[in-house]
Amino acid sequence: MALIALSCATYTAKMEFSRDLYYMGRYEEALAGLNNLAADASGRDYYLYLLERGKVNLALGQYDSAIVDLQAAERRFLDIEATRSVSEMFASMLINPTMSEYQPEAHEKIMISTYLLLAYWLEGDREGAFVERNRLVERLDRYTKGLSAEDLMALDVPFARYVAALMYEVEGRADDARIEYEALRLVSPEAAPPVIDPSLRELIVFTEVGRAPVKVSTEIRGYLQKDGGALLGFFYLPGSTEPQAFALAGLNSLTLDKPGVLFTFAFPQCIKQRRTAVYCRLVIDGMNAGDMIPVDDLENTAYTAYKKDLPLTLLAAAFRTYLKTVAQTAGDDKGKETKIALDVLGKTLAAVDRADTRSWQTLPAEIRTFRMECTPGAHEVFIKYYGERGEVVSISNTVKFSLDNTPKQILFLPGAA
Amino acid sequence: MKLIVVSIMCLALVAGCGGTSTKEIDISTDTAESSDFASADLQRITDGMMSSIATNGFFQQYAAQNAGEKPVMLLAKELKNNTDEHINTRLILEKIRTRMVNEGLAQFVDDQAFDLALEQLNLQASDLYDNTKAAQIGRFVGAKFVLRGTISNIRKVEGRTNINYQNVTMDIFEVETLLIKWTDEVEFKRVTEKGSFR
Repeated sequence: MALIALSCATYTAKMEFSRDLYYMGRYEEALAGLNNLAADASGRDYYLYLLERGKVNLALGQYDSAIVDLQAAERRFLDIEATRSVSEMFASMLINPTMSEYQPEAHEKIMISTYLLLAYWLEGDREGAFVERNRLVERLDRYTKGLSAEDLMALDVPFARYVAALMYEVEGRADDARIEYEALRLVSPEAAPPVIDPSLRELIVFTEVGRAPVKVSTEIRGYLQKDGGALLGFFYLPGSTEPQAFALAGLNSLTLDKPGVLFTFAFPQCIKQRRTAVYCRLVIDGMNAGDMIPVDDLENTAYTAYKKDLPLTLLAAAFRTYLKTVAQTAGDDKGKETKIALDVLGKTLAAVDRADTRSWQTLPAEIRTFRMECTPGAHEVFIKYYGERGEVVSISNTVKFSLDNTPKQILFLPGAA
Repeated sequence: MKLIVVSIMCLALVAGCGGTSTKEIDISTDTAESSDFASADLQRITDGMMSSIATNGFFQQYAAQNAGEKPVMLLAKELKNNTDEHINTRLILEKIRTRMVNEGLAQFVDDQAFDLALEQLNLQASDLYDNTKAAQIGRFVGAKFVLRGTISNIRKVEGRTNINYQNVTMDIFEVETLLIKWTDEVEFKRVTEKGSFR
């Protein structure tokens, strides 16, 4: 029963409320929800909740808190990178894969450094932002090195490259900026600036559009009975409440007086989320500046990473199913108590099987940018988000800034779903 | 079976004895815990730079040319951090300043005491203080030399192996001429190998 209780709600289900609040722009409430989730989280999920909370803090402009959360999560993820815990391996195999501590995808690790960089920069800590830029460049090299050209197109994180290049520009290191912009141009040609001029007075705005895809647990559950040479039973397909009958080499019906095998085959499905906003436009000093350009398709990156992992995930799910069904029949030739114990254990383990639905769910589907030369003095900007039919679905907060002391004004607006 | 039960009980007993323990670490023999910048590196950098300064001859030459006077120096705000770690680089500079002052090599202007000193001077110039014993205005000493530097690193991470090369380069330049009077570097490279299991 404890095991069943342990695994009844998936990460995606637990996150649903806070996730919706976040995408509705109700950051304070999303933060309160995430505080509760983090406080109740097991050690296996705790640092993932910190990522979610760090992202909400960033949207709220609470940069110090964002840095604390993101850094704590990053430190842990780097500590456990490329390592395994034997106890977690066994628990994952016997119960379900959520028994292992969460290890982020490569693009998620890159995004941690990217958001950290932004948090330092927006807080006004230039040196801190430059250090994060150095970390980010190392991460980009580490996680994208060795990818085929095709994989690089999907798994690179051009937003991270853009921000790193921008920091080099701000520091006056035009050559280093050029290297990152060239890497950006390979993946996202429209987003790369045509000229690199650290002294040019420019406004660079980033915004996020849409929701990251989420994983849901897809489960095929059923019950099989052996009757002489025949195999019969029923199973439930994902999303169906109607049982499907199954009979192999026999037309007999199920009876309760014969032992049977309970099985579950659970795997994650990655679901792209519906978007209300499909494009957006920057408004500066009351005038339309133009459509913001897509710089990063994180939805595709997350989906590609999921697809690459899927064969192994399915193999592991099949192995779990096999182990749990074998356990239910392993005691057939043993004494009555052993037989019952193994049968109950196998059935309980089959019942608690779930897919691992964990992922960083407050990431956007897409990141867009707008870059323009800007005159010195005070300005104000906001972003209008448009739906499929060209209707305005959301408007960002207005941000006021002054372009007097710095040649590059970088703004980050969390965006619309 | 009995053995298993006894073992579990022993383990539980040992686990129950767990608590916080604190021990003093000798800084001079301290070693780094990982390939990242560590407190042990501070010692290594200070020792390396101080031995270079001692053998460089600039300070002895300055004293000889200026009737035994020590050069007046200023610390740069911080050591420029070109690494991928958030390091309190001011600490490195201050550690070297402490050694230079204690070894009688130079005098330093306190760049961070300006506002406090100004406040005190203004207060003491007021009627609240005995003006005959108050600190005099107009006696700040300008630095002729600045101590500054850069810390950089090159990191390579492959699987569980983390290789980190670090370099600290420092110099003293003359404010009037921009001539570098002393410069040196300390470099080190460390590799950390994580275990497969945690």
